[in-house]
Amino acid sequence: MSEASESVLIIGGGIAGITAALNTAEYGYKVYLVDDTPSIGGLMARLDKTFPTNDCSICIEAPKMYEVKSHKNIEIITNADVRKVEPSNGGFKVRVLKRAMFVDEEKCNACGKCVEKCPVTIADPLDARIGGTRKLVSVDFPQAVPNMNFVNILCRQGKMRDKGACIGGCVVDCSQCRECGVALCVKACRDEGKGAIELWMKDKWLNLEVKSIVVAAGVKTAAIEEGTWGLDRYPNVIDYMNFERLMNSGGPTLGEIVRPSDGHHAHKIAWIQCAGRGDKGLNYCSKVCCMVAAKQTIITKEHDADVECLVFYNHQTCYGKGFDEFYKKASALGVKYIIGKPFDVTEDPDTHNLILRYEDELEGVIKEEEVELLVLSTGLEPNDRNEKLAKVLKIELDRNGFFKESDPINAPLESTVPGIYLCGGATGPIDISESVVQATGASMKAVSKR
Amino acid sequence: MTDETEIKNEATQSASEEEPRVGVFVCDCGSNIQGAVRCPDVTEFAATLPDVVHAEEGKWICSVDFLNRMKEAVKEHNVNRCVVACCTPRTHEKLFKATVAEAGMNPYQLEFVSTREQVSWVHKTDQNLATEKAKDLVKAGVAKARLLERGREIKLPVGQKCLVLGGGVAGMTAALAVADQGYEVFLVEREKQLGGLLGKVNYIAPEHVRAEDVVKTLTDAIAERSNINVYTGAKLESIAGYIGNYSVKVSSDQGEAEFHTDTIIVATGMREIDCDGQFMYGEDPDVITQLQLEEKLRSGGVQGKKNVVFIQCVNSRNEERGCCTIGCTASVKNARLIKQADPDTNVYVLYRDMITVKEEYVHLKEVMAEGVNFVRFAYESPPEVVKADGGLRVKVLDLQLGEEIELPADLLVLQTGYHGPEGVDDIKGQLKVSANADNFFQEQHIKLGPLDFAAAGIYLAGSARNPKPLKDVRDEGYGAAMRASIPMTAGFVEAEGIVAKIDLTDCIECGRCSKKCPYGAIKLVGDEGKTPEVIEALCKGCGLCAADCPKECIQVVHFTDEQLMAAVDALTEKDADKKIIAFVCHWCAHGAVDIAGVGRMDYPPNVRIIRVMCSARVAQRFVQHTLDRGAAGVLVAGCEFPTCHYITGNYECKDRLEKLRKKLDKKGYDTSKVWEVWLSAAMGPKWVATQKEMVKALGLEDKPI
Repeated sequence: MSEASESVLIIGGGIAGITAALNTAEYGYKVYLVDDTPSIGGLMARLDKTFPTNDCSICIEAPKMYEVKSHKNIEIITNADVRKVEPSNGGFKVRVLKRAMFVDEEKCNACGKCVEKCPVTIADPLDARIGGTRKLVSVDFPQAVPNMNFVNILCRQGKMRDKGACIGGCVVDCSQCRECGVALCVKACRDEGKGAIELWMKDKWLNLEVKSIVVAAGVKTAAIEEGTWGLDRYPNVIDYMNFERLMNSGGPTLGEIVRPSDGHHAHKIAWIQCAGRGDKGLNYCSKVCCMVAAKQTIITKEHDADVECLVFYNHQTCYGKGFDEFYKKASALGVKYIIGKPFDVTEDPDTHNLILRYEDELEGVIKEEEVELLVLSTGLEPNDRNEKLAKVLKIELDRNGFFKESDPINAPLESTVPGIYLCGGATGPIDISESVVQATGASMKAVSKR
Repeated sequence: MTDETEIKNEATQSASEEEPRVGVFVCDCGSNIQGAVRCPDVTEFAATLPDVVHAEEGKWICSVDFLNRMKEAVKEHNVNRCVVACCTPRTHEKLFKATVAEAGMNPYQLEFVSTREQVSWVHKTDQNLATEKAKDLVKAGVAKARLLERGREIKLPVGQKCLVLGGGVAGMTAALAVADQGYEVFLVEREKQLGGLLGKVNYIAPEHVRAEDVVKTLTDAIAERSNINVYTGAKLESIAGYIGNYSVKVSSDQGEAEFHTDTIIVATGMREIDCDGQFMYGEDPDVITQLQLEEKLRSGGVQGKKNVVFIQCVNSRNEERGCCTIGCTASVKNARLIKQADPDTNVYVLYRDMITVKEEYVHLKEVMAEGVNFVRFAYESPPEVVKADGGLRVKVLDLQLGEEIELPADLLVLQTGYHGPEGVDDIKGQLKVSANADNFFQEQHIKLGPLDFAAAGIYLAGSARNPKPLKDVRDEGYGAAMRASIPMTAGFVEAEGIVAKIDLTDCIECGRCSKKCPYGAIKLVGDEGKTPEVIEALCKGCGLCAADCPKECIQVVHFTDEQLMAAVDALTEKDADKKIIAFVCHWCAHGAVDIAGVGRMDYPPNVRIIRVMCSARVAQRFVQHTLDRGAAGVLVAGCEFPTCHYITGNYECKDRLEKLRKKLDKKGYDTSKVWEVWLSAAMGPKWVATQKEMVKALGLEDKPI
């Protein structure tokens, strides 16, 4: 392959970013793949299965992640933010802030000795509702790339002392000291002969010059107001991402579909679709939730065919290749589809079961169902960081907060600034297949003449 | 690996290349391996094995320091086969291969043994058992390494010509993107003019753009480019070859043409499914399809129609096929246009579900506010159309009302499903690609390779794949152009050296290998076109052909019968009756094994893993030989269905195991010793459960090993 003659910045290391990176790098360009979390992989890395084929998500993504890692044209920059972008020489000058993870990437091989010794367990940000925890030093997830641990920023800033953390409150400044007789993780790593944990590590500024930029900044599960259908009031009401993580062998319950209240298997589960819609909520359809619910019910039945599954929905959004067949499969397995949304959810205080009251639209009567676990399909919304990133890139967002394509038909995948392209969840609710298609298309634009 | 290193490896190969000189490097991995396993013992043991000229222990053998030490040792002792005993090949194999290559050794002669994920992390309770298992695995590794041959990456040259089949939006988009890089494009279109389906469409929703404007922008751009050769009214007479080497014959309005092309993009579009006999279509001229309505709207509208009814999901969402994807958007769009043109028109849309993704919901609300009526019906009770009072009447069970209603209609629009156009069967045959029952082409993988075919060099875009909105078609045009441009820009495709090799001595030319290869990597050549030949650059090394060949003519580099059976023999030399020999695929199954390791899940140490790239590599003779050697059990572990890294491998393996059990039964083998497990890479717990199950079922609980 010829030397990389030009370079491209890809913002976001999820499946769209990874796809764009591999295509661009294979084409012969140098790629900077920047992600603001400690690992690439994005949302897809945390899912269990993917519709409509029920492929295991990380199984198909991890080989791509390893390909990215070992590709000579790709430089992965994680835990980093794009802070400044200026046009220059027909391309862009970019300033990236790589926030310290306090672990030397070259030395760490994720052996986990530091994690063993860390005295503090906190709620995992993704899995808190279903009892997920992690230590203050941890690896993002087992298949993380780069495969390394990182120290929780709050701990490093000395803010976790009241939780039992061993550091913080030192009189001497870390960067002066470099000794740290105090931190148990540092000691554990030194005892291993590695000494990879360096609490005095500083953030690093990187200056890049690139021809084009591809925004693959992704999307996130929509949050809804506390108390809606009992969320965050009743322990056995969770959202659909929580359920995904329950099903996942790599999740906090090792793949057992159990209730947060008592850890028992749930024998009757209900899904409420379009849970994030409404006047105060999302005013658009998140596209994928119908298929996600079909998937989750099918997998639930695979775990245990006797589990009763109910899905409260409005319309089946089965738009893609194989989607309607997937929905039919769920029905054929005995999943009960009910048109309508429960108007009332209450909890039995002893069992923590949920009692749902709804109008059966076809029969025109009020009915009641008691379930052991309630899943809210809340939809997808823009990432919190979209606004900031849009300002830095000087590109427009649409009225829902997703990045705006300047002309979807005549100039697809182009942002409102020439040379900056969009793909994947950054443009709005999307499924994995479309993200890959868009990322491939965006990479063609990124390497083309303008 | 660069070309330079390649050449260097050939030149500086040690003088005694026939005689294996094995170097073994045993990793402590800090206290991750050393401790649970006595690494000094393993190293000492390794030094006693046949052909081992150097055995060394290291604290972290992946560290820069030790890698330098490894290179020194390779040079010092003229090592030409290397075994590393450490973590998992899935993450570190490339690193060690690159390292030994730098020292002048051929990287295909490196064998990876996993003593961490497969031993120290999962057998923590008995240091003796763990150490014995580590030694065993090293022994097998050395036995295989001694027989490893040299390999190299294979390159196939690819030029810069691209054939685009289909001149609709997808084809034109791809053609322009490819041509703008300076490459030559042959754009072949069946109809008399470019534009495809969009030539019939009025407006595009939800962007509200005129279809003819979109088409004109594209056709003008095509006309401006001298490097796009357009053939209209064309027929694809013949096409043969493979990437970098296709020969094409086309007849067209521009004459006969014969040319060579390097890549192909299939963008042949789709057409409506015929509605003859349904809802009085064909009997009454006022019953039309959505596309026929588009043509009417384009050329003046539907004046004089006062009662327009749309029926959704005709020929869709039934036993035969799924959703047509664009029907809801199309009907909402056209219902609105008709209502706006004359607000006194009664417009009804009869639907099952209303798909309004993203912001289309906003348009739906507006359309409802403008007075378009929406009536929901169930699949089980579709609308009925009758002729009465000199006109059409549509009867339907309104789900919301719970009663049947009757609507007059002087225009009835059927939103019908779609399928591939005529000529797809021909293309399928000529290109050796597959399509589904509706003649929509089969992409390599709906998530990982949506625009690729399994065979390299051919790509897919637009509604030839499945129906979709116009914006998505445009995205795919660019995407397919990128896929095709990668090999054309690089100038070659490159395959890893793990490829199939055919020895024609005993070949009976049954053609099975060529037929079964999911990548079209085995061509049948020769005077009678029956002799199999591997196009190495296209081979992915799954080993399906090698396992299926009735005459055992095919081997796979780095995974030959001899090498794999040498590992089996080494492992079954001692205490075979206590051991489970497991053939584990490199991808998901090995991923599950690794995750069990990462999760420190404890399980009985009876299993000895032999890695293969794909479970399809496991031939009947492997299982039989392993049983002959007295193994307590044989386990085949592959990817969970439907995923297989090599598309069909796990399915083939499962079929083969079924047949194999019957055959072995007849021969008097105890087939209760032959097990299989299908894992996703997250299924550490399932791997562990299988081990415990097997140990119990095979009566190994009292026989610690």
